[in-house]
Amino acid sequence: MARRYNIVLAGVGGQGLLTLGRVLGNAAILAGEDVTIAETHGLSQRGGSLIVQVRIGKGESPMIPKGAADLLIGLEALETARQIIYANQSTRIVMNKFLWPPPLADYPDIDNIINEIRSRNIRLYLVDANKISEEIVGTIISANMAILGYAYAVDEGLQEKISYEHLEKALEKIFKGKVLELNKKVLRKGYEEGLKHK
Amino acid sequence: MNIPRTDVLAPKGSKVLLMGNEAIARGALEAGICFASAYPGTPSTEIVETLATVAKDAGIYVEWSTNEKVAFEAAYAAAISHVKSLTAMKHVGVNVAADILMSAGYAGTNAGFVIVSADDPGQHSSQNEQDNRWYGLLSHIPVVEPSSPREAYMLIKEAYKLSEKYKQPVIFRSTTRISHTRQSILLEEDIPVEKTCKGKFERTIERWVLIPAHGKKLKKRMMTVWKNIMENEGHPPFVEIINPGNKKVIIADGIAYAHVAEALELMDKKNEYTIVKINLPVPLPYKPIVEALKDAEKALVVEELDPVIETQVKKILFENGVSVELHGKDLVPENGELDLDIVYRSISKFDIGTESVPWKPLEPLRLEPPIPPRPPVMCPGCPHRNSFYIVKVAANKARLKSPIFTGDIGCYTLGYQKPFETQMTSFEMGGSIGVAHGLSKVMDEPVVAVIGDSTFYHAGIPPSINIVYNKGKSMVLILDNYYTAMTGHQPHPGTGTTAMGEETYRVPMEDVMKSIGYETYVINPMNVKESINKVVEAFEKYKEGKPVAIVSRMKCALQALRDARRKGIKLPVYTILKDKCTGCMVCVNLLACPAIVVPKGAKKPVIIHDLCAGCGLCAQVCPFNAIVLKEKGDPNWLEAWY
Repeated sequence: MARRYNIVLAGVGGQGLLTLGRVLGNAAILAGEDVTIAETHGLSQRGGSLIVQVRIGKGESPMIPKGAADLLIGLEALETARQIIYANQSTRIVMNKFLWPPPLADYPDIDNIINEIRSRNIRLYLVDANKISEEIVGTIISANMAILGYAYAVDEGLQEKISYEHLEKALEKIFKGKVLELNKKVLRKGYEEGLKHK
Repeated sequence: MNIPRTDVLAPKGSKVLLMGNEAIARGALEAGICFASAYPGTPSTEIVETLATVAKDAGIYVEWSTNEKVAFEAAYAAAISHVKSLTAMKHVGVNVAADILMSAGYAGTNAGFVIVSADDPGQHSSQNEQDNRWYGLLSHIPVVEPSSPREAYMLIKEAYKLSEKYKQPVIFRSTTRISHTRQSILLEEDIPVEKTCKGKFERTIERWVLIPAHGKKLKKRMMTVWKNIMENEGHPPFVEIINPGNKKVIIADGIAYAHVAEALELMDKKNEYTIVKINLPVPLPYKPIVEALKDAEKALVVEELDPVIETQVKKILFENGVSVELHGKDLVPENGELDLDIVYRSISKFDIGTESVPWKPLEPLRLEPPIPPRPPVMCPGCPHRNSFYIVKVAANKARLKSPIFTGDIGCYTLGYQKPFETQMTSFEMGGSIGVAHGLSKVMDEPVVAVIGDSTFYHAGIPPSINIVYNKGKSMVLILDNYYTAMTGHQPHPGTGTTAMGEETYRVPMEDVMKSIGYETYVINPMNVKESINKVVEAFEKYKEGKPVAIVSRMKCALQALRDARRKGIKLPVYTILKDKCTGCMVCVNLLACPAIVVPKGAKKPVIIHDLCAGCGLCAQVCPFNAIVLKEKGDPNWLEAWY
């Protein structure tokens, strides 16, 4: 049995992590891969720390051991930093250049976070997913698709499992009409950005 | 929640990505149910939500009932009248329905009747992590438990067969990680077009009236069923011996099995172990246990939470004279949920005596200040924020001395946090009002029970009556945001629509409270000043010794934003004028709105405009009028909110 491909999606409730997970899941099915996606629902969704675990390949256990992520996609800097325990020395980390402080709390600066991750000698990719979304949609609502496109461009592991067309087809399963077209555009823009920094 | 309708209704042979709860719904539809009822509760909600979404296409009846007991009664009534039915609830919901659950064990059923209990190991969204497999032992109702969403889809159908075979209800136990994991599922069957939806009630009074004389006879039937299941159901899909004949055995049920299978695979020790895979943990069929353990040297029971299987295995070993080195909760934690990492460690301790794992996590980052915790918070525009602010200011104005706020179960439980602290207790559904009453009888401080709309209909009415009847001194504050919001905006008796999307009667809570005898005030918390005055008035009435209730009514912000988007209504957006803002931080410190942040190193807050819901609370609170409209909303923007 080939090892499963482990993707941790980290962010804040409301940033579209569940949708991101579903797109990856549908793309995996289209690629003929088995997949599990462990989601979080209910109260913890309300602006709290959120993690979604996607495992591509044969197997049933839905949770990724700490240190076993192949790819960590972080939609927010503090949450990426928090979930770094899922990464190991060879994990790719793709992080949105966006820090959203929790109310009434002191917090480290985003540059400190970036420097601290870099000091560990791991592959860190930074993308302004909010900006890509804003440029195309007018709001940050599609930052999730921007970072997905970017992560796909830089992560060969993911490319081995699913093709770009599968991602687009997966979007068609979830969105319709104008929203679908916009999300496809955002995905593409993120992907092109990623190719530049490969 | 966005239910993929077409996936749930897809024809036989389709491969679809379904969440465990959607898979359970699809399986139940294939089994031929025609009736489903539930009260929403994480992690169970999407089962009946899915059924409601497809009810009309599938030709079945689905409802959101006022609470789990009522939901259980309704579904059970259908089943004893020969209509296959389902009820679903979160683990603590079974506590609410426990009274009739026990009776249903005695009386049994006619058509298949399945109670889905979605447990929450790890307490992702619950007040406890009780293990509801115990309910099976308590009620003599068998428990079927899947190890994955895919298996949930298949096993729910087996649960209906088991129920019909023994004319006994079946508890189908899921957990958060089954219910909320998506998996690709190959659909085996179509949803039957022909099914029994018209019931037939047989007036077998000796079966349905549980007076002692009848109950004694029914218990004999129940115990016979119980023993028969233990004797005869020790075969797939309920119990399966995988790779028999090894000296080392692992017994695992539910999701624990999935972790065990992958751990052994990763250890490359699959061939050294016999696994007894359990999908019927209660009552545990003894034959396969004896079979797998009689020649074994040592065995490990891997199960999440309590030693429900371990206890039964020990009994089976004792009764059958089997001697084996048995491990369980000495190596597997009983607190929290299991995962691959934990199970891998437990097995390696069992196998070689030391814990070792093949993965090496990075050390946590060393940051100064450290990464702050991020608990869930009230959303931007959340009406609860307004209500809590208003009540606290009004309490000051009315000179209510150190009021006690008892709390309940809902998004508003987040009011326990600073700066509000308007939730000082939260035990169970409806508890705020009963607890407030008791406190008011033994304390002099004023007590305000704070309860949500759906929770009020669920279990808030009897304790409200109790306060008036027993001349209590506590007040009731009902936060009406139109929906059962926390679980995803299901309609409730105050909403005006049913689960199946039909218009229906509204049962306004202010009418309920008035009829009980409360002086009832209704406020619109978006109008802060006016609301403060009204609440002060209510507090004055309370001081005169009158029973007082306040209803605070404003739509859940998430739903208001969604409605605005759907109707194409532009909402206002606020901004902070840098030159007017003095950096007093009143907005930050009194409201804790996630849309208002203080950039690193800055002395003044800013509004993240993308997150602002336009409720305007901060503008009403700012002492320097420094918070103003950045963009005006459409003239009809309030339509999104009410």
